[in-house]
Amino acid sequence: MAGNKPSRKPASSSGSTRRPPRRRPQPHQRSFSGWINQHKHAIRFSLKRLWFNPVSTWITLAAIAIALSLPASLSLLLTNMQTLTDDKREVPTITAFMKENISEQQTKDRAELLQELSEIANVQVVTRDQALADFKNITGFAETLETLDENPLPHVLILTPNLERLGDDKVLQAFADRLKSYPEIDSVQIDVEWIQRLRAILRIADHVVLVVAVLLGLTVLLVIGNTIRLDIENRKEEITVTRLIGATNSYIRRPFIYGGLWLGLFGGTFSLIIVNIALLFLVSPVQQLASLYGSNFTLSGVNPLMSLQILAVSALLGIIGAWLAVGRFLWRDEVVD
Amino acid sequence: MIEFRGISKRYAAGQLALYNVNLKIQAGEMIFITGNSGAGKSTLLKLIALLERPSKGELLVGGTPLNKLSRHQVPAYRRRIGFIFQDPHLLYDRTVFENVAIPLLISGMGLVEIRRRVNAALDKVGLMHKAGSYPLMLSAGERQRVGIARAVVNRPTIILADEPTGNLDPALAQDIMYTFAQFNELGTTVLIASHDHMLVERMKKRIIVLQKVEE
Repeated sequence: MAGNKPSRKPASSSGSTRRPPRRRPQPHQRSFSGWINQHKHAIRFSLKRLWFNPVSTWITLAAIAIALSLPASLSLLLTNMQTLTDDKREVPTITAFMKENISEQQTKDRAELLQELSEIANVQVVTRDQALADFKNITGFAETLETLDENPLPHVLILTPNLERLGDDKVLQAFADRLKSYPEIDSVQIDVEWIQRLRAILRIADHVVLVVAVLLGLTVLLVIGNTIRLDIENRKEEITVTRLIGATNSYIRRPFIYGGLWLGLFGGTFSLIIVNIALLFLVSPVQQLASLYGSNFTLSGVNPLMSLQILAVSALLGIIGAWLAVGRFLWRDEVVD
Repeated sequence: MIEFRGISKRYAAGQLALYNVNLKIQAGEMIFITGNSGAGKSTLLKLIALLERPSKGELLVGGTPLNKLSRHQVPAYRRRIGFIFQDPHLLYDRTVFENVAIPLLISGMGLVEIRRRVNAALDKVGLMHKAGSYPLMLSAGERQRVGIARAVVNRPTIILADEPTGNLDPALAQDIMYTFAQFNELGTTVLIASHDHMLVERMKKRIIVLQKVEE
């Protein structure tokens, strides 16, 4: 009894004589194919359960999808803004605006002098005429600009700092102040400034997204856990019966874990669909806005890696939620009537 | 095969169901347990199926003392036992076929083999034509037979039946008993608790009479 299960061949009885049970290895227990079969049954059964409870399934999936799409779209937004700042990070430039009464020749002289400085890698002179022409091309303000009697723009020097000398933000700032003290120069702008500020904001936003993601991830966990818990309550009778017949805890647990996995996986898929649809709405207005700024920035969508990450996280949340719900149940004492 | 050594069972509520039972059952034997209701017939079967634990004494099945089985070993042990309950405990959201298939699913059998075995078991209890029906569409007797099919489908070494014919008319009850006898002839140890003396006498097997414990 404790060893192998004896088995009998049906319809081979030889009358009333009692024969000791023949022994043969149990082919369907503990074998790998048996394990695979159990998983197949659990998968088939859990999918069927989802399919036959459409209302609760869809509500749960919608809750999961919405909860997941919020952090997903926020982090997408951040990624996009980061790429926006990444563009310029490698070439910080200093723009020096000359005073209005400074002539083109004076500007070029100053440029030559600045070129000598070791802090400066390159100096580019943009005359007011050039600047006006560029401005017309870029912004489409051509007609408005035509109405002006004279060019309102000053001459400009665009300085590329030598990063070996001016790599540090503070040193860069000090150098900018020094430039400002030149009599020809009206004002100085470090165009990495706004990027630095934006990056600081983005760092904060990063943390906010993380907090939101954790909270909403927890929500998904609870939603799935609760759905599975209700499912377990509905199937208490079934669990009791299968236990009486000899089901192991892992056998009882398996369909519920798969149930959680499906909820997580399908919920994650729906959240990806939601995010992508939202992106479709945003692409053309963003492109319009970017073109107004003379940028060819395009909104980057959810890349395959990120999609996989979202699916993996949601699937994992589903498994954990289900596991917690079933574990709580299985630890209760066995009930026998 | 099964040996009771000084087994007593007192329930948490206080009533004494069994007192000092000593009993040996050989492998391949078919035994009837009779006695008035409350005499402990069900308890005796439940102790063997490990649905209850004895308060005192030792119970050996196949040479193994059951109190030595760990929590993890219980399911595998139960799979070698076919238990037929007074109330068949069918799952009402599954068809007859699916109900009978449960023990095989638990064992991890493939679908082809499951179909073969379930059909064989249903054939044995005369319910082949009801395979696709749901338990609620069946009569009490048919449900009981589904319970029997489910208990034998995994070809257990021991069949325990608690009042298996309680809901059946005499002719059908007789039929079911012969079905059990057939399983017994194939080598299965069969224990049947029943208060139907006439039926039990007719089967001409060993009979154990339990008497209510007087306290």
